[in-house]
Amino acid sequence: MVRRKKQSKVSNVRHLITKLNPRSPITEQYKTIRTNLQFSSVDGDLKTMLVTSSGPSEGKSSTTANLAIVFAQQGKKVLLIDADMRKPTLHYTFRMDNRRGLSSVLVGESILEESASSSDVEGLDLLSCGPIPPNPSELLGSRAMENMIGRAKEEYDIILFDTPPVLAVTDAQILANICDGAVMVVRSNQTENDAAIKAKELLEVGNAKLLGVVLNDREQNKAHYYYYGN
Amino acid sequence: MEETISLKEIFEVLKKRLLLIVLLMVGAAGAAAIISFFILTPTYQSSTQFIVNQDTSETNSVDINQIRSNLEIINTYNDILTSNRILDQVIEELNLTISPSALSEKISVANSESSQVVKLSATDTDPDVAADIANTTIAIFQEDLPELMNVNNVSVLSEAVVPADPTPVNPKPMLNTAIALVIGAMIGVGLAFLFEYLDNTVKTEQDVEKTLELPVLGVISHIDEKDMMSMGKPVSISHKRERGSFSGQKKKTV
Repeated sequence: MVRRKKQSKVSNVRHLITKLNPRSPITEQYKTIRTNLQFSSVDGDLKTMLVTSSGPSEGKSSTTANLAIVFAQQGKKVLLIDADMRKPTLHYTFRMDNRRGLSSVLVGESILEESASSSDVEGLDLLSCGPIPPNPSELLGSRAMENMIGRAKEEYDIILFDTPPVLAVTDAQILANICDGAVMVVRSNQTENDAAIKAKELLEVGNAKLLGVVLNDREQNKAHYYYYGN
Repeated sequence: MEETISLKEIFEVLKKRLLLIVLLMVGAAGAAAIISFFILTPTYQSSTQFIVNQDTSETNSVDINQIRSNLEIINTYNDILTSNRILDQVIEELNLTISPSALSEKISVANSESSQVVKLSATDTDPDVAADIANTTIAIFQEDLPELMNVNNVSVLSEAVVPADPTPVNPKPMLNTAIALVIGAMIGVGLAFLFEYLDNTVKTEQDVEKTLELPVLGVISHIDEKDMMSMGKPVSISHKRERGSFSGQKKKTV
């Protein structure tokens, strides 16, 4: 019970530490992930990547947003797409409008260039979820989605997807099939072993190229952790 | 899969649940102390000693047999002392309002090994009553004995007296508290390991690599308010907002 309360408090707060505090040790940890991601795709070009997790509130959205920022800080042109069309959060995180977004692009209401908006981080463009559609999985698996990704690939160096949890809905599996790579977020002290294994199996069924795991919310030894801090 | 637990891990588990263990210990000890001091009525004990004199002139047996018969006699006396015949008279004499079986629970007879001195102890919530029971019982026993066994070989060595400041024999608050402390610690440690066993969540990078067999791309440590400093300026993250609302507007769906 206590743990559950703690969770909900965490999930309501959007951390964008990489933007707020680019010199913090935690930002450095995101940069390490960025480096490892670049190393993990030596043979192929890693242009589209999705971030998911087994269950809700394990840190998908904040990890994706922070990763997008550190990629942008590297000088890349990044597009961050909120593909969680069930519980979108990107527009809260970046405090933007959600009247147009991924769903409106996929149903042909608007085009990518119109819907994507630039963020206050240089090189980072955002595509929020848009109006919540009744059929998110069908939209994600549609031809319109493939077309959109194709167009986005021409414009951007890297495209990041924030997705719903694997165990809850099939959306992440569908997207993982389309994307070049998938990253799974595992929250320390919350994600259960069995859930993580099940999520991995589901992603493998969806032909995902699992690049690795980000261990979130890990408690660190304080002395060690602040050694390189400011 | 074989699992080994190192000593270090055991200490880690105990350290993590130290608060639980300490709380359980303090709680149990406190409860025991409160119960011992305030709830349980103290009982007092009073003892009298009597000696069983074997009439050696009657028998010419060797010492070892005499000792054995002494022991047997003492056992017999024990039964007689706690028999209804004696206890009924004690109750009558002292005007007690309890049954003979209840009274027999208050009386205990013991002798030290191969000694002819027998100690009769009586316990009661009132120290005076305890002493009275002990003294009356032994007196009635002494009176009845010639009639019952045709011997008169019991003489009282010391009478039960009530000390000026009687201390209760039961409950023993310090002992109870100490026992509760130990039991609390044991339950705490047991619970700590139970919780640890039931907790099958991923914790460390090693857990991820072991269970998922996937590379760990990175580890994000816990982010707290102190980390969210923007150029030395604190940024409040304690502002809470519901997931469905954005700048005061409710979530809209199409």
